[in-house]
Amino acid sequence: MKFNAQPAAVPGPLPEWDERWSRLVTVDTVDGERTFHVLDTLPALKEQGLEPTGTIIALHGNPTWSYLWRRLAAASIDADGRVWRVIAPDQLEMGYSERLEHDALPTTHGSGYRRIAERVSDLDAVVRSLLADTADAQGEQHPVVTIGHDWGGIVSLTWASRSQDIVDAVITLNTGVHLAEGTPLPAPLRVALAGPALPTTTVLTDWFLRTTLSLGQGPISDEVKDAFRSPYRTAEDRGGIGAFVADVPAQPSHPSYGELQRLADDVASIEKPALIVWGPKDPVFVEHFLRDLRHRIPHADVHRVEKASHLVSEDADVPGIVLRWLARQFPDDAVSVASGEEPTDDPAPMIFEALDARRSDATVASVDMTQNPPQQITWKQLTRVTDGIARGLQELGLQRGDRVSLLVTPGNDLTAVLYGVLKAGGVAVVADTGLGVAGMTRAIRASDPQWVIGLKPGLTLARAAGWPGRRISMHGLGPIERAALGVETSVTALARTKSTEPIRHPGREDDAVILFTSGSTGPAKGVRYTHARLGALARTLRKQFEVRADTGWAAGFAPFALLGPGLGISSVTPDMSVTKPRTLTAAALADAIEAGKSTMVFASPAAYNNVQATASDLSPEQRAAFTKIELVLSAGAPVPLALLDGLAELFPNAQIRSPYGMTEGLMLTDIDRDGVAAAEAQSRDHGVCVGRPVPRVRFALAPLDADGRASDELLTGSGAADVLGEFVVSAPHIKSGYDRLADTDASSKRDTLDDQIWHRTGDIGHIDPEGRVWIEGRVQHVLSTPLGPLGPGGLEAVANTVEGVYRSAAVGVGPAGVQTVVVVIEPDAGAGRQAGLAPQQLTDAVRASVAEHYPHDVAAVLVSNDFPTDIRHNSKIDRTRLAAWADRVLRGERVGRP
Amino acid sequence: MKILVTGASGLLGSSVARSLIVLGHEVTTLQRRASGIPGARDVQGSTTDPAAVAEAMTGVAAVIHLAAKVSMAGDPREFERVNIGGTRNVLDAAQEAGVTRFVHISSPSVANAGSSLIGAPAEPATPASARGEYARTKGEGELLALAADSDEFPVLVLRPHLMWGPGDTQLTERIIERSRQGRMPILGSGAALVDTLYVTNAVDAIVAALDAVTRVHGEALVVTNGQPRPIGEFIESLARAGGAAKPKLRIPVAPAIAAGTAVDAIWNLSEHDDEPPLTRFLAEQMSTAHWFGQRRTREVLQWQPAVSFAEGMAALAQHYDR
Repeated sequence: MKFNAQPAAVPGPLPEWDERWSRLVTVDTVDGERTFHVLDTLPALKEQGLEPTGTIIALHGNPTWSYLWRRLAAASIDADGRVWRVIAPDQLEMGYSERLEHDALPTTHGSGYRRIAERVSDLDAVVRSLLADTADAQGEQHPVVTIGHDWGGIVSLTWASRSQDIVDAVITLNTGVHLAEGTPLPAPLRVALAGPALPTTTVLTDWFLRTTLSLGQGPISDEVKDAFRSPYRTAEDRGGIGAFVADVPAQPSHPSYGELQRLADDVASIEKPALIVWGPKDPVFVEHFLRDLRHRIPHADVHRVEKASHLVSEDADVPGIVLRWLARQFPDDAVSVASGEEPTDDPAPMIFEALDARRSDATVASVDMTQNPPQQITWKQLTRVTDGIARGLQELGLQRGDRVSLLVTPGNDLTAVLYGVLKAGGVAVVADTGLGVAGMTRAIRASDPQWVIGLKPGLTLARAAGWPGRRISMHGLGPIERAALGVETSVTALARTKSTEPIRHPGREDDAVILFTSGSTGPAKGVRYTHARLGALARTLRKQFEVRADTGWAAGFAPFALLGPGLGISSVTPDMSVTKPRTLTAAALADAIEAGKSTMVFASPAAYNNVQATASDLSPEQRAAFTKIELVLSAGAPVPLALLDGLAELFPNAQIRSPYGMTEGLMLTDIDRDGVAAAEAQSRDHGVCVGRPVPRVRFALAPLDADGRASDELLTGSGAADVLGEFVVSAPHIKSGYDRLADTDASSKRDTLDDQIWHRTGDIGHIDPEGRVWIEGRVQHVLSTPLGPLGPGGLEAVANTVEGVYRSAAVGVGPAGVQTVVVVIEPDAGAGRQAGLAPQQLTDAVRASVAEHYPHDVAAVLVSNDFPTDIRHNSKIDRTRLAAWADRVLRGERVGRP
Repeated sequence: MKILVTGASGLLGSSVARSLIVLGHEVTTLQRRASGIPGARDVQGSTTDPAAVAEAMTGVAAVIHLAAKVSMAGDPREFERVNIGGTRNVLDAAQEAGVTRFVHISSPSVANAGSSLIGAPAEPATPASARGEYARTKGEGELLALAADSDEFPVLVLRPHLMWGPGDTQLTERIIERSRQGRMPILGSGAALVDTLYVTNAVDAIVAALDAVTRVHGEALVVTNGQPRPIGEFIESLARAGGAAKPKLRIPVAPAIAAGTAVDAIWNLSEHDDEPPLTRFLAEQMSTAHWFGQRRTREVLQWQPAVSFAEGMAALAQHYDR
């Protein structure tokens, strides 16, 4: 096939495209003058009287064109702060740039088509020519930033690495720098590259183009797809697409192989700030490309958009993520962001040091009742075992900062492994089965551990799902199983490591653990804690629980069950499935208390419900065990007063308390039974009272605006009293950050009040004049009514008092600012109500009850017999889903289920 | 103030005129039959007659234009004559007479293509895509009124939605009467939310508009109670207030929309000349959500509905108890 030369052109009107952005640029390239079509926002900015104070150079991949950056261009023009000019060339023979004359179709070893080295020099020529437009386009006053996608990512990173005199920061979306030897090419590329198929898939047909456009997770509209396809209508237009694919060096004999090796090294020399925005659903640039990039640019911020695929910028708000990151890197004014330094005063000991402090204590540290017979271990043994594990891991090659995924159920095994890993400087990744298999898979892939330690089921899953990491089994396995699971050794073997080598301990600012949120509002987020922060948590908990030398607890609530040894608390794991709280029986709890001589009990409301329900099975001896308890702790969900009262009967000598926290801050407030009773007796306030902040925790409030958005201004002290807002907290023991969610993390700690690091909790409610914290729901569940924003929790508390209502959800239906209130109720079990509109009597009762406390009109009351909740606690109601269902029902659509 | 109320023979028009008289205004009424409102200067005639309009407009400072042909069926030319031509006559005469406040009463159907409306704002009228002659011609009329708007001649448009209450023959009595006869159907789940407007709230809103038009003009506002209710609950509440049994007849939505005429035979709605048959439009109206954001309306009118949905239903029950 022969390809005729075609001059560069300018696209006609396209959706989301501003025709002022198009310009043609002729520059001198390796083979003479060539003309490129370039998206350049400079003319549009000048028309608005704006002078750019920064430049973003964006490079598309294959088979897209600068249209890929239209949303970035539009958003950059509308953005506050620094004025960014976006320059996005169409690569030669791509998009609307010039097409060269060729006598033949592109092949892997053919000549005449652009190869990667020439593409880097093309970019250099175009960019340098355009930067001349803005004379001062360099230096601190005018940062220059690159961004690329797909093969454009490699090209732009390479150019940036070789132009660090000009470039101030680099950004890339899904791309791949290096094809590691022995790693097969991704399937879609293998198909496209398969020798004789190459011209058919890429040039003669638009298969490759169509396949790429079909990778969107959300549907890409037909109009937008047409726009992407517009410069590639005919086979003659598509020579460049084929050439790009043909230039993928699958073998060392490929002409571009050497260049790729060189540029891979160059990319590793990038010292400027870097951001990687990644869509993990990409079938081409899969996880190991991201891992490779992270290794090459270890200082890069990573933001994963779990639901996004190859065309990340079509699936996610990439312009927002990019522009917010840039605003943080290059603030427009002199006001600098918070230093982000950890508080240095008064450091708490690291959590494994509490364990080591009892090195010669021969009393019981931990009893595991899930084993038959129950397994117990002394402080002395536990110290020795964890030392052995730490040494063994280090001998095996574990490096400080290596991540270790723990697929072990709570109990003595997990305790030993966890503290062994922490001592060795490993970062424990604790993804529990409460996330569900899909959620766990996502969580573990995202944290990308170097090591996996597991029981057989966990290792089987790791193997089957292809989770990353070198594998170690908990217990010794036979050779066949070891081979089948790809296991190197066992923890049992590691624990026997006899060595006099000192263990190389981590530093206080090293990461210690990664926990995961419950994922009730989107994919579970990884939450990082450094040793300093984990140590601070232990200190706070010890103080709050008044831990003495003889304190012991029966803990049926992850992750607190794990913390016992680090708090110096002798711990018992009751015979239950810790990830299924409802499996805790009264008898099992009593036996645990007896076995561990416990003084405290820690479980979730769901577990206590079952304890109460099975209390009649207790023998007199077991009952007597309950009388020895001094402190009963309940956490994980609000505790109804009735349950607290029930617990007070079961544990006659105990104080009953319910701390409030979240994965990002496990201990924020605390309240006892009397406090709950006093709060409930008060009619002025509604919602769930969780008590007062514990020492070292500060609460501030970000008031909600009319549309229900939390403001950027924080209120504290009396100024925050009785105002509805999002809780923003600060404490030495809150999270260090979200893991590989650079944008989410920055947003959660955007507040700079008093130069402290704060955390946006996402919980809303108010703080009463007495300083008590009342929770009224999640910020994304706020109803924005014409009377102003309304938290669902208070209204639900009122609706829950109506006879026949088990629990309820208040949701807003309609556009922000004019939402109408709808109450969805889950009836008492066995009420046999039909889903949909509630019967008039029930509706009237709910309305009457609400009207006593609220001026808001309740438009409708709906019945749903199965509330969507999180798996881990079965208590976090997915109001967003209920709201969507209520919206459908109240449009008159088929009732169905939430 | 001297105020002209056109269309004062209907419930809304006569109530507005009475309210204004109570408030101390000098009220002129213009409609085809005698208005019978004590204290009003009554001009009998049609808005389609420029001479009658000119006579009514004499000395007037403010106009509330309610006169319209309201019906689901009829000769398109008749709709045009009254709802477009009549409106043009009233606008022309008002400008001629130096009127400084003009409140035009329209209908949400002028901007409603039959799909769900969820907390919707008052979108511009789109007569070209209107369903039915009433909506089309009211839409044209509204556009005329807004086109005439200026700082010297400020025009404000109100669109009351599903008005009900004692004395309302259009909606309230028809639903109650049919419920009594066991012929009132509920379409689909009956859960679609609709906004309604209690009659005295409508009157208050129109009176409030006379002041508001001096502050904000050139804009259309939907007026409702701001209390959306499932359509089934609305119909059942009306039936109960009127002493009728709860409607038991339920018709699935799809057949009702697809085969309007077949259902029509069961419903037997078309016995009177003016009554709406179960057109596709009506079936959609009664099975899909129709409610509106009231924030802007209340902000502009500086008005709140004084009678709640529940209070209105109680008043209606009392009305039928007498």
